[in-house]
Order: sequence, then C-alpha cells, then structure tokens
Amino acid sequence: MVSGETYNERSKGKDVRTSNIVAAKALANAVRTSLGPRGMDKLMQLEDGSVLISNDGATILSKMNVLHPAAKMLVELSQAQDVQAGDGTTTVVVLAGALLDSASILLRKGLHPSAVAQYFLQAAETACDSLKQVARPVVADNREQLLHAVETCLSSKVVSQNTDLLAPIAVDSVLALLSSNKSNRTIDLRDIRLVEQVGGTVDDTELIHGLVLTKGSAKSGGPKSMKQAKIALLQYCLSAPKTDMDNQVVVSDYAAMDRILREERKYLLEQCKRIKKTGCNVLLIQKSILRDAYNELSLHFLAKMGILVVTDIERSDVDFICRTLNCQPIAHPDQLDASKLGHAELVEDVYMEGGNNTVVQFTGISNAGSTVTVLLRGSNELVLAEASRSLHDAQCVVRCLVQEPALMAGGGAAESRAAMALRQHARTRSGQDAYCWTAFADALEVIPYTLAENAGQNAIETVTELRAQQAKGVVGAGIHVKTAQVEDMFAQNVVQPLMVTTSAIRLATETVAMILKIDDLIVVR
Amino acid sequence: MEQAYITEGTSIDKGENARLSSFVGAIAIADLIKTTLGPRGLDKILQKVDPSDQSITITNDGATILKSVHVDNAAAKVLVDIAKVQDEQVGDGTTSVAVFAGELLRQAENLVNNRIHPQTICDGWRLARETARKTLEEAATNSSEDTEAFRKELMEIAQTTLSSKMLTFEKAHYAKLAVDAVLRLKGSNNLDHIQVLKKPGGSLRDSYLEEGFLLDGKSPGVGQPRRIEKAKILLANTSMDTDKIKIYGSRVKVDSMDKVAAIEKAEKDKMRRKVEKILGHGISCFINRQLIYNYPESLFAGAGVMAIEHADFDGIERLAAVLGGEVVSTFDRPDLVTLGECDIIEEVMIGDDKVLRFGGCKSGEACSIVLRGASSHLLDEAERSLHDALAILIATVKEPRTVYGGGCTEVMMAAAVDRAAQETPGKRALAMAAFATALRQLPTIVADNGGYDAAELVTELQAAHAAGKSSFGLDMEKGCIGDMKELGIRESFASKLNVVMSASEAAEMILRVDDIIKAAPRQRSEMGY
Repeated sequence: MVSGETYNERSKGKDVRTSNIVAAKALANAVRTSLGPRGMDKLMQLEDGSVLISNDGATILSKMNVLHPAAKMLVELSQAQDVQAGDGTTTVVVLAGALLDSASILLRKGLHPSAVAQYFLQAAETACDSLKQVARPVVADNREQLLHAVETCLSSKVVSQNTDLLAPIAVDSVLALLSSNKSNRTIDLRDIRLVEQVGGTVDDTELIHGLVLTKGSAKSGGPKSMKQAKIALLQYCLSAPKTDMDNQVVVSDYAAMDRILREERKYLLEQCKRIKKTGCNVLLIQKSILRDAYNELSLHFLAKMGILVVTDIERSDVDFICRTLNCQPIAHPDQLDASKLGHAELVEDVYMEGGNNTVVQFTGISNAGSTVTVLLRGSNELVLAEASRSLHDAQCVVRCLVQEPALMAGGGAAESRAAMALRQHARTRSGQDAYCWTAFADALEVIPYTLAENAGQNAIETVTELRAQQAKGVVGAGIHVKTAQVEDMFAQNVVQPLMVTTSAIRLATETVAMILKIDDLIVVR
Repeated sequence: MEQAYITEGTSIDKGENARLSSFVGAIAIADLIKTTLGPRGLDKILQKVDPSDQSITITNDGATILKSVHVDNAAAKVLVDIAKVQDEQVGDGTTSVAVFAGELLRQAENLVNNRIHPQTICDGWRLARETARKTLEEAATNSSEDTEAFRKELMEIAQTTLSSKMLTFEKAHYAKLAVDAVLRLKGSNNLDHIQVLKKPGGSLRDSYLEEGFLLDGKSPGVGQPRRIEKAKILLANTSMDTDKIKIYGSRVKVDSMDKVAAIEKAEKDKMRRKVEKILGHGISCFINRQLIYNYPESLFAGAGVMAIEHADFDGIERLAAVLGGEVVSTFDRPDLVTLGECDIIEEVMIGDDKVLRFGGCKSGEACSIVLRGASSHLLDEAERSLHDALAILIATVKEPRTVYGGGCTEVMMAAAVDRAAQETPGKRALAMAAFATALRQLPTIVADNGGYDAAELVTELQAAHAAGKSSFGLDMEKGCIGDMKELGIRESFASKLNVVMSASEAAEMILRVDDIIKAAPRQRSEMGY
C-alpha cells in the first residue's frame, strides 16, 4: 500500500460539501416530525394565500419553494419515490438526511467522498437483498393481506380515523382494474377517477362502479334522471353553423332577418331530431373553444324531447368516458348511429349536500370498461385534498404489491432488520467498506428512532429493545406505536410493501452518492 | 500612444501583460475542471443566476462545465473551444484536453520566466508532439478482426469512460447498454438512431435497452386500436383541422343560415375526402406532426386505423429514419409514397407514463435506451455520461485502434519525449522536457483526485515503464500501480491522440500571443427593449 492514503480536501470542496449536507439535513429535519402514525401534519400557506394541510412528504416538499441546490435534489428525491412507490415519500427524505449525517462523520475521518458513495451503494444493495430474503410473499388477489398493508399506509395520514372506510375502497378500486385484464399486471392509476366534492364528511366517500361527472345536467327543464339510459357523446356543436373560414351573413332587410332566425331554428331542430332518432336519451356534449358547443335553443329542443344533457365535457376526458361507458364519440351528424351509444341502467343527478353542487352519476353500465370512480366527500377543501392524496398513496401501495408481491413488517421493522444484516456483514470484512457499512446501518435506524420519538416514547430505549428483538430472530419486530411497545408487527398486521422500503433505500442512497460527489458550485448564466 | 489611433474603450494588453493574462486565464480554467478528472473525480453544481431560471445542473462532464461558465479571458475561451471540438469529434476526453493545455501553459510560464523565447518553446513542443504521436501509434493495438475480442475491448472502453462519471457505480450495466446499442447500428454510426428517454423514478440499475423506438407521451385516439401487428405507417405533416385559404382576411359572405350550414358541410366533406385519400395508402397507422381534430380522429377510428397526433419534430424525423418511411404532406399519389413499417405497435408503461413502442422496425438498427433514476439531475447527468460513452464507442468503431488507459500511455509518451529531448541539442530540449512533465501531470492529477500520494504513484509508474512493464498504469481502486491489460482499462486511440494534438496546438497558439486587443463593447442604447 502507498503511504499517506488519506484525502486532504481543498478547502473549497469541503465548504461546498458541508453547505450541501447542512441544507439537505435541514430539509430532512423539517419533514421528519410527520413520520409515522403519531406524526404531525404541516400547514402551508402558499404564495397566493391559500392554505394546505398535508402529511405527505412529497406534497410538503413540492410546495416548499427551496432555493439551495442540494435541497432541490431532496425535493426531487421525494417525487421520484412518489412515482416509483407512491408511498414512503417522507421516509426517503428522512433517510437521505440520516445518510448524509453519517457520511459527514466518515468524511471527517478522512475517507474519500467517492469511496463513501461507492460503499454506500453497495450497502444499499446488501440491505435490499437481506430484506428480500425475509419478506413474506403475498397473493396479489388476497384482499385481506392487501387491506392490512393499506391500513398501515393510511394510519399516518390525516384521515387515519376513516381507515375502515378508505382502505377497502383503495383495495377494491385497484382490484377492479386488475380483474378485467388478468394478463397485464401493469396498473394505470389514472383509470381510477377521484371526484372530489365538498360537503358531507369523509365517511360519505363511496366507490362507484360507473362514472361521475362533476357538472350536473343542463338546467333547461329537461329530465334529471333517466332509467335504461342510452348515452351519446357528441363532439360536434349544437349551435348555429359556423365555418372555419370567417363568414358574414349579410342581412338586407327586415324580412331577411326573420328568415335567418327561422332557418337557424330549423337547422337546430333538425340536428336534435337526428340525435333523438338514434334512440339516445342522455347526451354528453364536448366543450368547444372555437364556437359555442350548444346554445339555449338547442338545449330547449333537447329538453322537450326528453333528453338529459350534460355539457362542457373536456376533450381530455373523452377517452376515459368512452372506455367507461363503452361508447364511441360522435364527431359528425352523419356518424350518428345507435351502435355508438353506451348503455347504463341509471343516469341521475345527485345533489351533493353541503357543497351546493350537483353531479351526474352513471351506474349499471353494460359492458363497462376497466375503470372505476371514487366519489370523495369532505367537509372542506383542505380535508378533501388531503383525503384525495392519502387515497392515492393507498392505491399506490396496492399497485406496489401487485407489481412485487412481497410484504415486510412495518413500524421500523424493515429498517432495523436491514441495519442488523449490514452490521453482521460488516463484521466479516476489514477496511474502509466495513466502516461505511456500519455507518449506513446507523443511518437506517433513524426510521425506527424517529417513529418512537414522534410517538413520544423514549427513543433510545425503544430502538435498543427493537435491536435486541431482531437479534433474537423476530423478523417482524417493530415499534407498535399504539401500544408503545416492540412487538411482532406481522402478528399485529402492520405491514407494508417491500417495494416501498427497498425503493426508498435505493433512491435515497443514489441521491446521497450524488451529493457527496459534488465539490464545487459554479455560477453560470 | 495607442490612444491616438484606436477607438475609445478599446484596450490593448502588450507583451508581458498579455502573456501573463493568457497564462492566468488558461491555468485558472484548467484548475477549475481538473478535480473532475479520473474515476475518483468529483462533480460540480452549475447554478444559474438568471432570476427567472434558477435551475441547477450537476455534472462531471468537462465540456458541459466549460460551455456554461462565463469567461472573459481570451486564452480561457480558446480552452473552452478545444473542449467543445473534442466533444464534437470524439465525445470524450473533454476535461483531459483542457487540463493538458493548461498544464502545458503552466510549464511554458516557467520557461518564459527563464528567458526562453516563446517561438523556441513552440519548436520544442512540435518535436515532442511528433515523438508522442509515434509512440502512441506504436502502442496502439487493433483487434477489430476478432468480433469477440473487439466487443470485449468496446466494453472496456465504455467502462473506462463511465468510470469517471456519476454512473461509475453501475458502469458494467451501462457499458453493456452502450455497447449493445452501438453494435446494433452495424457501422452506420448514426447516433440519431439511438434514442435516450429519461423517466424519473426507479433506480439507475432499472435502465434498459428497448429494441425499437419509443414515442413518449402519445397515445392513439379514442376508439382506435391500441396494438397493431405488421403495421404500415404513414408519417405526415399536414393540418388535420381544415385546409384553410391562406389569404389574410378571406371570408365568405352569404345571406342565409342554410348557406353557412352548407359551407360548413363542404368543409367537413373536404376533410373527409382528405382522410379517405390518406386511408387510400393502405395504412394501419397514421402519425401526424400537427393536431388531429375530433372529426378526422373518429373517421380514422371508424376505419380501424391508429392515428397519433402532435408527434414532436425530433420524434417524427427520427421515426421516419427508423421506420424507413418519409414524411409527406400531400396525399394524391399513394404509389410514390414510401410507407414506414414495423412488426408491432403497442402501448407500454414506464413508471407512471405510457409510451408507444414501435418494435421490429424496418431499419433494425434503431433502439431506445430508457434511463431511470431518482431525480432529473441524476437523469440529465446519466444522459450526458451515456452520450459520451456512445460517442466514444462510435468513434472506436470507426477507428478501431485502442490504447491502455490509467495514465499508462501518458507516462509512456513522456518517457519517449524525455529520451528524444536528451538527443536534441539546444534550448528546444528544455521545451521538450517541459512537454513530458506536462504529460505526466495527467496521471498525477488523477491520483491526486483519488486522495492518493500522487508523486509516489507516478514515480513508481515511471520506474515500472523503465523496467519494461509497458502496460502498467494507475489502479485507482486499490491506490497502487497495476497491469492495465488485466484490469481492462482501455481508451480509444483517436480520443487520446486528439487530446495530445489539439491541446498542444491550442497551447502553442496561446503562447505565441503577445498582444491582446479588446474591442470596445458595443454601446447599448438606454431606450432598448
């Protein structure tokens, strides 16, 4: 070996790195207290004065408007976790902060930053492998097991008291997507539509195997509900004709004016009659920016014909609506045809109490596509928005389990298990890597430590107890926050997808490695 | 004195001052990026200061750093330029070229202080350069005949390039990606056929090579098929709303609503005929660069044709190349149009996003590399690193000679230059010795960045070479010297040669300068935009 194998940093590189680590740690500390079932929520006042309450790491960080480059990387880190696993967005940031903390101690001992980065990445792989070995397999269609995982996820959210209601909704909605296409295990959560309506309480939330449109039917005296509905989705406009070229109607005298009005009436009536002829009794009209999608006159005709009309359908929603109702959009009067209509048992206006709004519900759809709708209710915007985010997290948990059907115990069990495995491995090696691995293991334990701390327990006592239990071979030993004791979490049904933990460890380590390798900050144009 | 003949505001630096300013600028630039060199080199954050854009870039790529920094020094700009040229020509070695030029100038500064004329130094450098080139050519090996061995060499080159980048921890994985992609090109060397798609989420190891082409964020219209086998594809750039008369202010004047309705109908009919013409090509997929409105969309759906709107410009150009079709905008002569073909079109999910996959394309060379990573910064840097690796591999396919890396060739060249210097009489020998010293600085910096005892290592390396172990270089994993052949550390001959040649030429150019004339900055009027 060569003598003097330590790394003497340039003062600038050291300063930049220290500043990065300090900033990243500060950010991690900011979200730290929201971890776990006893974690607290954050209230954020946005630039426009509106208020947001959340417990979701990714949401908190994305609104924080951070300036420091390293802090920005942590924000992106939580978003990446959101994309990958959907849950554990706070965990990943807290973990990154702890890893940086450990790394800064190693650097002070004279280790080379890129060596630390390299050993950390190796340690992350070992940690994930060790978890894979002890994780319990699940059958993706086993509703019971999925429910437990979702309950763990929801237990730390603002809406945790509604877990009994929301957990089945999350599981059932995702399973509904799965049931239709068995072969394809990829799940597009955009096929689950979350409709948020103010009024009522979260308890009124329901899963609807059908479609809900947020705008009520047109208020033109037409029917408000329709049984045995035949639904047409119109992409052309029911208003006075308009050419793409500029057009001018030249009126020369009073009689001509009358004639033109008459012609317009006749034209619209003709259009409406053609629609009626297909047997359609529910009409959806796509929004148009080029011209009026409908006018009072056409709505009046349609109402007279007993057709329920819903206006202002966004073009981006057309695809979803068509797949749900199993209908085809109609872009030209010539294409009007009974075969393009969708069928539903019941289409009706539902008044949302407390929100002073009406929505249209479509239920009993024949040959419905693989989409579902969740109608979320809440007493105010804040609760509603947070409930929506929590439900999304919960659905992500189910999706994770479908993609990688393995469960790990919650309550910090996974992290302390991985830490134990790393320490064991470290003992068999000599050199810098063993040292880095131990540091990595220490950093992993920040999760159980924080859980205990947020629950108001004596953190050191709890974590050491946890270590002891794990060493005895209780794979599921974790901190049960409600009883404030270390228990076998598998037995308590506090479980989480393996993918959430492994992805958090991998992503956090990658980001930390990146931050460690930076030695300079250059200002450019 | 100058004030008599130059415009006000113009400044002139002369002689000593000019040279000093050149040296200071060039050396400062070299010092700025030299910590990124080598497998243990560190990265830089580039922070934008524009109030509207405070984004950051994290990079290890010399060319990216140099392109972004704001320099106001003539010599520094020359260094930035040679790094750019290196980037365009071989794609890698951008840091090395700037650092080497900087080191040459550092040596030249000493020589000039010792009252040696710049022109004499240049003469010596030229001799040294020739010697170095010969040595490098002798050291280069070529195994392009043997496919297996060549593939192994390509892997080694890719790994060596990647080892100094952020991807170093996953270099084996990425080297394989890059080599597979380049070998698919079968010598056509068109980087455009390799598409790099960045998708946040997942970890770096989840990146993969997708045979075929991926179109990002596009999906077929409502009610159209989601999956087509044996597809015939028409690529177009045409308006699919209405064919308007392009005369400003053109309008129709009518006197009744019926006539307006009639014209509207005529417009719709025109569109229908256009769609029919398009369908007349016997296609199963239609891709347009512009929007496709509801009406034509439903017509395509009725005909069971997949229609994709708003494919961006890059996307459609590349699709045309990959699918072997051409982009058309008139549809009157179906017999003259070359249609694109591929075996399968289907939707696939990457992370949270849907992309459209074109598999089994007509030109089988096409492929897409999907990059996954924790953040956009990571992905951007991964893309830059991968681009470097791809570029150097393509350069190697063109010029299959390779040399050993890890400072091996630098020390070898330095030794040869030293020997030549001993045989050269006159002051030029001093310049040649300086050239050799500058060459040896490259491994020194690499070792320094690794936190090792650089002086010790480089002298050991020199001794090893003197003892005939000509494949020895720095082993940065262990911090000692080792056999590069066994460690598989290999670099492209073209890249290495380019580094030595263009750096020394640039240094020479800077050295020969004795006046710097700065034109007065253009006056901006107060009333400007």
